Amino acid sequence: MSIRIKINQKEIQAEKGELLVEVARKEGFYIPTLCYLKGKGYPENPCGICVVEVRGEGIVRSCNYVIEKEIEVETETPQIKEIRRKILENLVANHYGDCKAPCHTPCPGGLNIQGYIGFIAKGDFRASHALIKERLPIPAVVGRVCPRFCEPVCRRALVDQPVAINNLKRFVADYCLEHGELPIELPPLKDKKVAVIGAGPAGISCAYFLRLKGYRVTIFDKEDEPGGLLRYGIPSFKLPREVLRKELESIFRMNIEFQGGKAWGRDFTLKELFEKGYEAIFIAIGARKERFFGFQGEEFAESGFEFLYNFNKGQLSLKKYEGKRVAILGCSYTAIELSRVLRRLGCSVTIYYPRSRMEVPVPQREVGYAEKEGVKFVYVTAPWILERLDSKYKLILVRTSLTEKKEIKPLPETAFEEEFDFVFKAWGEAPSDEFKTFGELEAKLETNAEGIIKVNPQTLETSLKGVFAGGDFAHGAKTVIQAVASGRKAAQAIAAYLEGEPIKRAPITVKYDFSRGKRAEEFDSNFLDLFVPEERAQLKEREPEKRIQDFEEVLIGLTEEEAIKEANRCLRCGCLGIHKCEFRELLIKEDVPVSRARKKIKYAIQKAHPLIEVDSNKCIACERCVRTCPYEAIFFRVVNKGKPTEYITFRFTERCVNCGACVDACPTGALTKNNLLVPYSRKEAKPVKSVCGYCGVGCNLTVWVKNATILEVTGRDLPPNYGYTCVKGRFGFEFYKSSERLTYPMIRTDRLKKFERVSWDTALEFVAENLLKIKEKYGPDSLGFLCSARCSNEENYLMQKIARGIFKTNNVDNPARV
Amino acid sequence: MRALEKGAKCLVADPRRIYFADKANLYLPLRPGSNVPLLNGMAYVIIKEEFYDKEFVERYVENFDSYRHYILSEWDLAKASRYTGLKPFLIEQAAYLYAQAKSALILWGLGVSEHRAGSYTAMAAANLATLCGFWGKPGCGAMPLRGQNNVQGACDMGGLPYVLPGYQSYLDPTVKLRFQEVWGEPIPDREGKTLPALLREALSGKVKALYAMGYDVAMSHGDIGSVWKALSNLEFFVVQDIFMPLSGKYAHAILPAACFFEKCGTFTNGERRVQLFEKAVSPPGEALPDWLILTKLSQKLGYNWNYQSPAEIAEEIGKVWPAWKGIIHSRLKEKGIQWPAPEPDHPGTSILFTSGFPKGKIHLAIAKHIPPFEEPSSQYPFILVTIRRLNHYNIGSMSRRSPSLNKLYPEPVIDMNPEDAKELGIYEGARVRVFNERGEVIFRVHLEERVPRGQLYADFHFENALTNLLVSPGLDDLMETPEYKVSVVAISLFR
Repeated sequence: MSIRIKINQKEIQAEKGELLVEVARKEGFYIPTLCYLKGKGYPENPCGICVVEVRGEGIVRSCNYVIEKEIEVETETPQIKEIRRKILENLVANHYGDCKAPCHTPCPGGLNIQGYIGFIAKGDFRASHALIKERLPIPAVVGRVCPRFCEPVCRRALVDQPVAINNLKRFVADYCLEHGELPIELPPLKDKKVAVIGAGPAGISCAYFLRLKGYRVTIFDKEDEPGGLLRYGIPSFKLPREVLRKELESIFRMNIEFQGGKAWGRDFTLKELFEKGYEAIFIAIGARKERFFGFQGEEFAESGFEFLYNFNKGQLSLKKYEGKRVAILGCSYTAIELSRVLRRLGCSVTIYYPRSRMEVPVPQREVGYAEKEGVKFVYVTAPWILERLDSKYKLILVRTSLTEKKEIKPLPETAFEEEFDFVFKAWGEAPSDEFKTFGELEAKLETNAEGIIKVNPQTLETSLKGVFAGGDFAHGAKTVIQAVASGRKAAQAIAAYLEGEPIKRAPITVKYDFSRGKRAEEFDSNFLDLFVPEERAQLKEREPEKRIQDFEEVLIGLTEEEAIKEANRCLRCGCLGIHKCEFRELLIKEDVPVSRARKKIKYAIQKAHPLIEVDSNKCIACERCVRTCPYEAIFFRVVNKGKPTEYITFRFTERCVNCGACVDACPTGALTKNNLLVPYSRKEAKPVKSVCGYCGVGCNLTVWVKNATILEVTGRDLPPNYGYTCVKGRFGFEFYKSSERLTYPMIRTDRLKKFERVSWDTALEFVAENLLKIKEKYGPDSLGFLCSARCSNEENYLMQKIARGIFKTNNVDNPARV
Repeated sequence: MRALEKGAKCLVADPRRIYFADKANLYLPLRPGSNVPLLNGMAYVIIKEEFYDKEFVERYVENFDSYRHYILSEWDLAKASRYTGLKPFLIEQAAYLYAQAKSALILWGLGVSEHRAGSYTAMAAANLATLCGFWGKPGCGAMPLRGQNNVQGACDMGGLPYVLPGYQSYLDPTVKLRFQEVWGEPIPDREGKTLPALLREALSGKVKALYAMGYDVAMSHGDIGSVWKALSNLEFFVVQDIFMPLSGKYAHAILPAACFFEKCGTFTNGERRVQLFEKAVSPPGEALPDWLILTKLSQKLGYNWNYQSPAEIAEEIGKVWPAWKGIIHSRLKEKGIQWPAPEPDHPGTSILFTSGFPKGKIHLAIAKHIPPFEEPSSQYPFILVTIRRLNHYNIGSMSRRSPSLNKLYPEPVIDMNPEDAKELGIYEGARVRVFNERGEVIFRVHLEERVPRGQLYADFHFENALTNLLVSPGLDDLMETPEYKVSVVAISLFR
């Protein structure tokens, strides 16, 4: 019987006996709930979030309200919202976990670190690489030069040492350079053209991400070869030229044009680019202006940066450096690289740095490598006077102290004198503003007080429309990963600009991110006993005495076994149920921040189940798992639900058949699958409709695919399985990645011989020829054709068609008997 | 399970006390290989006590009189009881429970099919449903729970030597004409051979070549020792698969195929529900979908088949088999359709025979009892029954290679009654040698109260325990299904 009801003043037809929540949802009204499961009963303590107001009856739960008569319902009154908020706040107060891993936050590139490590742990190196490349197009480079913002916050350090995150990245990048990467699906090229000036990391990154969006990109660079600082600043023993070449090649193969030997200001101007039809321009020419320290005779010192640049271009005569005494002033990256190059040229090298060892602007690791190679470091010492003698330099140095403002204060009374064959200065670099003279548009580009180009920090757009700038050029000398991030940001802004759309930015959800402690010392280390100490994988370093004889790479990458072992050291802090977390979604939607979440662990994490991990600290006691399980395989009790004294008891009983239905029903990360190691959001994965390949029930499945890899399989709520499926349906998909898969055709003429790998053409010709020969000789009924109970209908149809239509025999059968 | 919660009654017949038996209203622990005596015994009670649906029998059933005579004269309760080892009153109760229900469904697995009397058992079950008029209504009928995911489809598609796609006869002139029109080729009208027959003729030298697509004959067949001999005798053997099968040892060509995550197509489940699966990931290396391999092969054979997609092939199937006309890939995007769907917009048929039967009347077949090929003897005192484990699948080529599943069940296990074990000095977890004249296999033993004395239950999922070596050479009388469920063996501790 039909009844007319009103929801938020809208008239609706409902059937008598229907549940209010079902009717409202059917009509598209928003009624959140965390515990309701259609047709599966109610928990002892329902969540109560689905409340609505029925006129004359007050606040009711819509999940068990049966429509019997005409009613008027309100779903969004202030009172309802307040009730929801209170309930959610109570749930927050009892929730303890990390929505995202701590390593994720400091990475300028925003890499899914836990995810790519998870792929490595499963031996899925290509998928790991593809996941990295979603945000970082040059992992082999960054895997060698990254200062590793992530590793200092890695919680593994509480057990033993941080995970070797960057070395893992380098491993998969090298693996894919050698074995090939997963093909990227490229959209067809659009008509719109973008010019990128500068083929360094920022420019290449911007071009890469623009190409992924379908734009035609041309990169201009004053040098003949792309790479910028990567090629001309970083020496080959740190970043082998072959690695750089291969990695850049994989990017230019995507139809990105490179025009080398074209210098901005000399060969073209911005105006000319616009005239040629480029609709947007990204400038990333780096920071090339050398800094000064300011001492007497500084102009006599040679430029370290220029030396490195010319050296890497192969334009120096190296003979004159052999056996010479060299001083380097400053301890920038340039200084360190320079010192190590000079050591390889046979110089004795001393680096003078006005501050202490702890204050050097490069990672301590880098200082260590140089020291091992025999570079001498003198700290707290600044140049005072430099004089040029005939073929030598006289350098007067002083010790320093710091002023109250932490500025360097030279102490002239400590002056001492040294003699050197060469003195280099290497105080670091800054962006130059010489571009202002390049042309009429360039003159209009605004700069700040330091002479650095002004950009909108959100979009990286300059004061000129359609002109964007990024990388070191816009931000001053920083790291490669920051340049890459800046290029990606610019690509997003440029795409939005070209399409005339606002920038699509992921909403900032930090205040809804649960965290077990942002810093290691805040972390309740009560569950670390789960992890057995395991030594961190170290890269093998070539012997210093040997490595300074050549320019070959110093650090040797991890092996496959080392990488998998290292990846398994990851504590997997980030929630592996975040893709299915309805709780978090609701907190964001209802704007309930999580700052008042519990700070201490309450329940030990249960790892006893072979396929499912249980973390009751994330349980909201909705009892969906219990009500979903058809086997009564879960023992669940909750006392004092919603109060600070809440206590949950959860365990699997011996009736469990490992089907995993409880995990898929769980609306938080309290239940997760052990074989899913990659945190992802359902939006970034492709749901593919599938049917189980095991038994004849034919369960309807959804296969979640990301990075050309199946992440997990869930049941679909359709006949015959209505969302259920057995352990094979949910967990039995892994075979497809087995290394034992057949991957190429093979033939042999004789059973005693070994198989020979052949092309498809050869194999099929061989098969056809032999089958025809036998038919010719012995007649059609001497052949038999076997269909498969594992192949599709269409394939079985073709098989019997070959038998009947081509070979004229009814000798067809299938495995129905086995 | 949901049906039981709603109050349905349940009757379980299985030699082993399976878990579902705990939920049953009546559990019948019959002797292996005595399915026909049980079902015919039940029919005896139903006829004798006149519980059958007289109106239904009158209207729809033929051959009732001779069937009635056969049952009443041959299958009195005492005889049924003697064969099955069940007390007569249990058989009576079962008959009452079944015949007095408003609707009833008979479900079976391979415990019915994998006997010498497998086909007769299926007939005997169908006879019960016919006697009681349990056809054409919801919750009625007789249904095999199909083992492999597309075994239904493989049969539907004409993967059988005696019928064309859609179970159509190659002797029917209109059918022949239809195929000839669509294929542009005449079809053969000589009877084909089943695989067991092909293997026999390979041994005798008449059959020279086999082409096996996704079917590891050398591991999955019963009495595989003889199968290996037959395969070695072939002049040419093509194997098309996703992993190197045991059959590869005997092959001349190995063609690497894509698995179902790597291609699209349809599978048909045990309810005739045709369901679409889509491509999720790319095949490894040079592996290709089977349909593409076969299409390319046809071109090498001088035929210019040019299928661009499985959807195109499905359309052609609808042309040669009218019941599939409505199976169009674009219609399957959301959910499956149960054939027959004889029109392009037909919603499919969830229940067959709602308005009569294809041949007008149901024929009550005479379901004979054929005892198992082998009887336990003093030398081989145990009956070995092959079974499947939840965590694995058939010959295990996929499930063994899924680490999650393999973790749950990493090695072959044989289940044994604890009393039997005690007598032989076998203890839980021991390694045992199970053997007969055909071979020997090593298992780990699990002592299990649910297993009756004198019986052993083992899986055949592992390459390091080729259970099928031990399987009896007995074949189903009609369909030649190997008798996987009754083989005699001896068992001893392995040292």
